Amino acid sequence: MSKGLLTTTVGSFPKPDYLTRARSQFSLGKIGGEELAALERQATAEVIRLQEEVGLDILVHGEMERGDMVAYFAEQLSESMAIGGLVRSYGNRYYRKPIITGKLHWQGPMTVEMWRYAQSLTDKPVKGMLTGPYTMVDWSFDDYYDSRRDAVLDMARVIHQEAVELEKAGARYIQVDEPAIHARPEQDFDLAVEAMALVVEGIDCEFHTHICYGEVALIYPDMLRLPVKQIHLAFKNTDFEYLKLLEKHPFDREKDLGVGVLDVHNHVAESVEEVKEGIRSTLELMPPERVWIEPDCGLKTRTWEEAAAKLRVMVQAVREVRRELGIEG
Amino acid sequence: MLTTVVGSYPKIPNRPRPARLRAAIARFERGEIGEDELRRVEDEVTIEVIQEQVEAGIDIVSDGQIRWEDDQTYFARRMDGFTIDGLIRYFDTNTYYRQPVVTGAVQWREPIAGEDYRFAAAHSPRPVKALVTGPYTLAALSANEHYGSYGELVLALARELRQEVLALEKAGAPIIQVSEPAILKRKEDFPLFRQALEQMMEGVAVEAHLYTWFGDAEGLFPQILELPFSTIGLDFVMGPANYEIIGRAPFAKKLGLGIVDARNTRLETVEQIVDRIRRVSHAVPLEALYVNPSCGLEYVPREVAEAKLKRMAEGVRRAQEVLG
Repeated sequence: MSKGLLTTTVGSFPKPDYLTRARSQFSLGKIGGEELAALERQATAEVIRLQEEVGLDILVHGEMERGDMVAYFAEQLSESMAIGGLVRSYGNRYYRKPIITGKLHWQGPMTVEMWRYAQSLTDKPVKGMLTGPYTMVDWSFDDYYDSRRDAVLDMARVIHQEAVELEKAGARYIQVDEPAIHARPEQDFDLAVEAMALVVEGIDCEFHTHICYGEVALIYPDMLRLPVKQIHLAFKNTDFEYLKLLEKHPFDREKDLGVGVLDVHNHVAESVEEVKEGIRSTLELMPPERVWIEPDCGLKTRTWEEAAAKLRVMVQAVREVRRELGIEG
Repeated sequence: MLTTVVGSYPKIPNRPRPARLRAAIARFERGEIGEDELRRVEDEVTIEVIQEQVEAGIDIVSDGQIRWEDDQTYFARRMDGFTIDGLIRYFDTNTYYRQPVVTGAVQWREPIAGEDYRFAAAHSPRPVKALVTGPYTLAALSANEHYGSYGELVLALARELRQEVLALEKAGAPIIQVSEPAILKRKEDFPLFRQALEQMMEGVAVEAHLYTWFGDAEGLFPQILELPFSTIGLDFVMGPANYEIIGRAPFAKKLGLGIVDARNTRLETVEQIVDRIRRVSHAVPLEALYVNPSCGLEYVPREVAEAKLKRMAEGVRRAQEVLG
């Protein structure tokens, strides 16, 4: 029997209430860093347990130690980045936008300890999770560089070093998220590709990338130039419209496609049948051994129960389709 | 040479100053305060940001668009023919807005920004510029599910927004800025753009400015000088080619000179500001310049916006001495 339809998730899991409370107490100086770190480990263990129980193939650590995917790295690059003031992102939502204040350089491992801890809890592979250089720079202010290109390429060297550390620690899969990659495709897509090449250079891991909502059509098929093994897109959110792109221009034969089958912005769990339908329509264009089944995006905006329910549906649907097609997981 | 702003100003300051508007909106959304209380906070914050602009040395201020969620929905929510859909990215920023969807004939019902203008003017020692999102940009950033063509929608919006321009004129606004960043992304639409703006500004006597941002005027120059506005605002930060472009034909209008980067925290030096003014002085005399940030200031933290405006005013004073 052939293999195929591997399951994984995009990265973040909902933070348990006790951790959300502890994070706010920590920011107010009411509890110490060690106490917070212990709770982050406790929550990470729960995330690993949930994924094993649901039956996913490749696990994530859940990002219990991260707030914002850019600020988490910016805080640890303290010699060249700072956390700036509040900027509105939409409606009444604000975030602290980081500032590049000096020449970017890697100061020490940022993600390895938590990855190692998560991997120690399971026999299944746990993905290393990194934010891509283009997104890191695009979502930061820049008080230092004169060009975005210089900033992105230096950031790529930083993220590369982190990937090297993950490889050394034993990671087999590393996901590099680039949700900002389609912000200005005509101008900058070559730069994003060049930066990704620097990140992955010489590293013997399987690299995945997650490209979020937005003008995906503008960067397809250009995105196939990204030197990664797997590209993940949010199919469910657009009712599998992206399949039309694949019809017009086939997906790269050397690459895997990560298919988002769960809408992470909807409280209600999908039905098994609806997920199966999405998988089947994808399989009309792609062989199962090159298709991964995942949620559309990180699950952190859902409750724990909603996330668990959605993942159970996803795994059930994959099992049924595998059985129907006679393929192994 | 006068200093002005392009529109938005950061709605909340950083600690230790309280984020009053953010807290008020959150309380309003939870049903803890009523609309009157929310309006009162918006009023107070509007007065506060006008004062900040004045203290920074801005000659023509705006109300900071404190009551606006964004340039699009502020109008779309108050006109007939629109519904409001999900979040979508505003150009290449990391700022999102809810996309207006045109589901019926668009229609202006009543003055949209008139009361806001009156309030701001009553609380400002300096002239207040009123802002209208242009028909081309409002159409470009909305989804059209009603009109047979994009052009029809643009012209319908021009006809309806003309009522808003007339209402602002009647309310006493000394300057009305029409904001049209989207034309820079589809320059081939200039004939439609011209037709729409000519219709919209027909019979309007008040001083009107046309502002663009996030790019250069390559392909629009010098035709853009033929439009019925006394001032053309250009972004020289994201559109550095504008320095060269404006020299290609006599610049027979005033220039809105966007030379302070409103999307980045790095503070310009006085010398840089003087130098950027010098670079356009061959094409446009100093007395025909409005110096302003490259776009609305909401992309930077409040304290950065304040510092940038102060620095800009300082640069303009120095340029007056050096070049005047």
